[in-house]
Amino acid sequence: MLILGIESATSQVGCAIGGHEGVLASTHSSRGKRHAENLTPQIDFVRQQARVELDEISVVAVDIGPGLYTGLRVGVAAAISIAFGLGIPMIGVSSLDLIAYPARHCQKLIVAAIDARRDEIFHASYRQVPGGIQRVSDPTVSSPQDLSAEIQAQGNETLMVGDGAIRYADQFENLRGVEPAEPGSAYPSASSLVQLAHAKALREEFVNPSELKPLYLRKPDALEINKQRRRM
Amino acid sequence: MTQNLVLAIETSCDETAAAVVADGKNVLSSVVSSQVDIHARYGGVVPEVASRAHVDLITPVIAQALVEAGIDHSDVDLVAATRGPGLIGSLLVGVSAAKSLALVWKKPFIGVNHLEAHLYSCFLEEPDLELPLVVLLVSGGHTMLIAMDDHLSYKILGQTLDDAAGEAYDKVARYLGLGYPGGPIIDQLAVSGKPEIEFPRPMLHEGYNFSFSGLKTSVINYVRKNPGTPIEDIATSFQEAVVDVLVTKAKKAAIEINAKGLCIGGGVAANSRLREAVLDVCLQEGLHSFVPSRSYCTDNAAMVAAAAWRRYSQDGPSSLYTGADPNLRLPE
Ligand SMILES: [Zn+2]
Repeated sequence: MLILGIESATSQVGCAIGGHEGVLASTHSSRGKRHAENLTPQIDFVRQQARVELDEISVVAVDIGPGLYTGLRVGVAAAISIAFGLGIPMIGVSSLDLIAYPARHCQKLIVAAIDARRDEIFHASYRQVPGGIQRVSDPTVSSPQDLSAEIQAQGNETLMVGDGAIRYADQFENLRGVEPAEPGSAYPSASSLVQLAHAKALREEFVNPSELKPLYLRKPDALEINKQRRRM
Repeated sequence: MTQNLVLAIETSCDETAAAVVADGKNVLSSVVSSQVDIHARYGGVVPEVASRAHVDLITPVIAQALVEAGIDHSDVDLVAATRGPGLIGSLLVGVSAAKSLALVWKKPFIGVNHLEAHLYSCFLEEPDLELPLVVLLVSGGHTMLIAMDDHLSYKILGQTLDDAAGEAYDKVARYLGLGYPGGPIIDQLAVSGKPEIEFPRPMLHEGYNFSFSGLKTSVINYVRKNPGTPIEDIATSFQEAVVDVLVTKAKKAAIEINAKGLCIGGGVAANSRLREAVLDVCLQEGLHSFVPSRSYCTDNAAMVAAAAWRRYSQDGPSSLYTGADPNLRLPE
């Protein structure tokens, strides 16, 4: 089983190919938010590095967010089109799961926080379980202050990860028992995506391209109406 | 041209569309999933709402286009998508989908200019239209008078200095409390009204540029001062003023450049009064007129396929690094 993983929910865009043998090739870029421009050539590059043909891919995994909507949609649109084009199933994984996953060997409560702009963060908490991590709270959007208060109230030994935790480090740095986020934990990686998707694929947790729903967590802002040049 | 079966995708605003067109003219399928009902609740297009809907609709619409065309994806020779102008979030969904399909199907990809696609809607039904042509491109985002000397060769003679024609319809309809989108609603009301109010014809004899903002203001002022006026009469009189300006300038341009014909395109080209007026003026002036079917005036992917086919035969494929450009201009 070969999995193509696509990840574009943050200011970074990346992809990876892997399966039973682990991750065969991966790439990412984070320059200038050129997600739509870069993603397709990246997939072609990773395919060549992994020495596979795209029609050998049997599952498309994609980061379903939460994250920056425009970038997120580039990845999701590409992923559903590839799955549709090849007639293969999909696996959706949350960006919060992806940034928590590399911290799976940590005994503390893991709080994954992604910058949601407008002075808010997307976040969820995780616990170590045999073989990986388990989410213990639903993904939510809130102010960094609210998250900080919640962490304090719970009083757990906590590890922060993600670009949201880094950007609003001042909100978390003086909390007792809280280990601040490292820069290396800022972004979801396509390699983690392929690894997590592989476990899900073994459990056959597949969806069809038309069933895959991005995790937006916010309603669209109707006040944005007509601010952009509208219909042609 | 060896690439004859084009699969095209259009997501520049609030219609998710896909089409399969052979040789740039034979439409095997043209599927349009309109989000107009969703946006009507907000009284206009909310970009984030549009982008989300495109993601939900894109693969079902493409699947339907292939099924209705009766082809398998292996029959597709070229995958095209509108890359601008339009709403950036919406455009990116179509461009990403088309590039991905091109990659996995090992077919060439081409990014298409939405304005060029509207121009090519004329050639879908009349592939042998004689050039030069004057095309009046009118929609909610654009009002342009274009001289087309040869295929893929244009000169913009004039455009709107403020509101687009479709935008004026929407704003007047909103002021009159008629709902959204304004074009079809006013068009419908105007059928039973009398064109008795003399609204101004802005810039009627001044070159080829347009201005509709002042007209909208006079309608609003008139309604304020004459609250009892039947709404149908306001609709008819407003529509007459818009159509008069559009057609007078288009006719003048066609005569000046010695055009063989006059065409219209864009969402406002679905307006019944404009269609009638264009046919009338062409008859008077001995011009060949071409008014595309309404379904090819509003946003659709068949026109994208037609433009893609022309562009591809001249310029070849686009790079897989192609992105979307919300401000893309018509190449002059
Ligand atoms: Zn249009």
